[in-house]
Amino acid sequence: MTSRLEALDPIVGAPVIDQLRRMADRLKPMRLVHINSTRIGGGVAELLIGIIPLWNELGIDARWEVIQGDQAFFEVTKAMHNALQGFKANIGKPMLDHYIDINRSNAEKLDFEADFVVVNDPQPAYLIKFLRSRAKKWIWRCHIDASRPDRKVWRFLWEAVRHYDASIFSMPGFARNLPHPQYLLYPSIDPLSDKNRDLSAQEVSAVLDRLGIERDKPIILQVSRFDSFKDPLGVIEAFRMVHAHTPCRLVLAGGEATDDPEGPRIFAEVQEAAHGEPDITLLLLPPESHYEVNALQRAADIIVQKSVREGFGLTVTEAMWKGKPVIGGAAGGIVLQLRNFRTGFLVNSPEGCALRIRYLLRHPDVGRRMGKFAKEFVRNHFLVTRNLRDYLSMMLLFRSPGEDDRRPGRTVVL
Amino acid sequence: MVDPNQPALNPFQFHECVILTMPTGRTAVNLREMLQIVKEVDSAVLAYHLWQSRMAIAHPEVEYPNDFAIWAATSLQDTRLAEKLSVIDPFTFEDMEEIREELAELLEEYMWDLPSVPWARPGFEFHFCEASTVVLVRPRIVAGTLSEFRSGLAGVGIDSIYYHFMDARWRLRKLKTDDFSIWLRDAFGLPELVSAIQGIDVWFYTLEGVRKAILDLLDRYMEKRDDITPGST
Repeated sequence: MTSRLEALDPIVGAPVIDQLRRMADRLKPMRLVHINSTRIGGGVAELLIGIIPLWNELGIDARWEVIQGDQAFFEVTKAMHNALQGFKANIGKPMLDHYIDINRSNAEKLDFEADFVVVNDPQPAYLIKFLRSRAKKWIWRCHIDASRPDRKVWRFLWEAVRHYDASIFSMPGFARNLPHPQYLLYPSIDPLSDKNRDLSAQEVSAVLDRLGIERDKPIILQVSRFDSFKDPLGVIEAFRMVHAHTPCRLVLAGGEATDDPEGPRIFAEVQEAAHGEPDITLLLLPPESHYEVNALQRAADIIVQKSVREGFGLTVTEAMWKGKPVIGGAAGGIVLQLRNFRTGFLVNSPEGCALRIRYLLRHPDVGRRMGKFAKEFVRNHFLVTRNLRDYLSMMLLFRSPGEDDRRPGRTVVL
Repeated sequence: MVDPNQPALNPFQFHECVILTMPTGRTAVNLREMLQIVKEVDSAVLAYHLWQSRMAIAHPEVEYPNDFAIWAATSLQDTRLAEKLSVIDPFTFEDMEEIREELAELLEEYMWDLPSVPWARPGFEFHFCEASTVVLVRPRIVAGTLSEFRSGLAGVGIDSIYYHFMDARWRLRKLKTDDFSIWLRDAFGLPELVSAIQGIDVWFYTLEGVRKAILDLLDRYMEKRDDITPGST
């Protein structure tokens, strides 16, 4: 059976895989533990599902630990999550005490000795208070846009995070004032996962047939939750402007925003806006519909991600990986990924979105060229192999005895 | 002409490197803030945005050579400023403080004539970063001959190209000099080939493009030699 590393070789190239092996060889023996709060669902779990087997193939003894919590705990962490993203949150002391209690009880159950521990997001952040001596280095990886956090919540979290040896953020603007080195690791996608692996034309057709989407006209697709930040109403508005000129279909596919109180209202508004237009298809997909999303992206002619607020925007990365021209809202990490006429288009309004869709429908050759560049851009920067490489470099850097070696701006020859 | 299999006195040692980006937490939302921060930050920050970011994150087509010019063009939508910032070639300076002065002077001069300070829209702010560079020696890729050098160059990752061709231009503090051309000159002479390699405009190639350009020059040299060899024997 082909290993995952061998399967990645033709995708990223032998030099990339060889480099990972060399770096890992220098670190062995190395015990690494990743900790988060869920084994399925969400971007962090998706990342860990892809990365853990790769660590082990590289000879790194990697484990994935998941903390357990009750409903009250996850209500606190959800509120914390929102507060870190800048929403007002009222988290009282009893709730924070409960959060600490759950971290403590998990710490009692967790059994590991490690060289490196990577703690993902706020849920398990306080584990370090109870388990510091179990690992040589503790890294906190924050996947959330914490650029404008609620002060009280950040202060509470800071109390734990400051004890870590380093933090990792997903965007430069997310970094905080912390007494240890902070690194920028962009998120990544796994080209072997169901969401991103190559599909045959038959597989794509079968999914579209099953979902009842005809391919008689160019397909414009947005994959995202039905919430206001993804602006599905703006996409429909743009589509109507395009549709008046050129026949095409719009597919809006995604899950319901069940944890968003506005979710049901937004979806009802989207249904209302799409009403009576047979060329608009709304698909409410179950959370783990990775394969279906993959097929939809591969069938689409143009992919839109018209967010008005965004973290990194991995749906854009996924669309680019499929070699499609992408039109994205100028928000968050989408700005970093798309450059006009090169790797995609950035837009600021439904009118702008319509303008670029019309352009791409008339110039499919330009779209293909942009898609080609987009795919290369993702290959170079946003695949799981780059994530591994950055982790390996960090581990090498932290294993180096010189404290000065970890100062920014240093070149360290190892 | 040098035989591609002629051994060099000292072999070429390929290195590889990883740039670990470290956000500083400082952000400019307009040109005035940009100027102020450029004056204040550690020189490592300027190095990051002038050339290290090419290795950290780079679009597949190079339009403007550094992050400051890219920001002026895409975020301030001021292509005139982007053009001016594109002219700065850090590898023509002896130290970072001179580069800082040049950059600050350019920004100050530019702002002097403007009726108002240009602002970036939300989401287009400039986030200042610096980097840790981790360099690793590749023990198994050592080139003892021109031919081995060619195959080494073709097989290494683009991070090696960055380290030996881009980073070296600053590390060596010598205009238009890099690890490859120094080795070729010291090992074999080859003034024409060395000069052609040094003449590659690193700012307007991707790192893969740099590799291809050097390989083309090496191939042309070796083909020429093959053309000459039969007649000369």
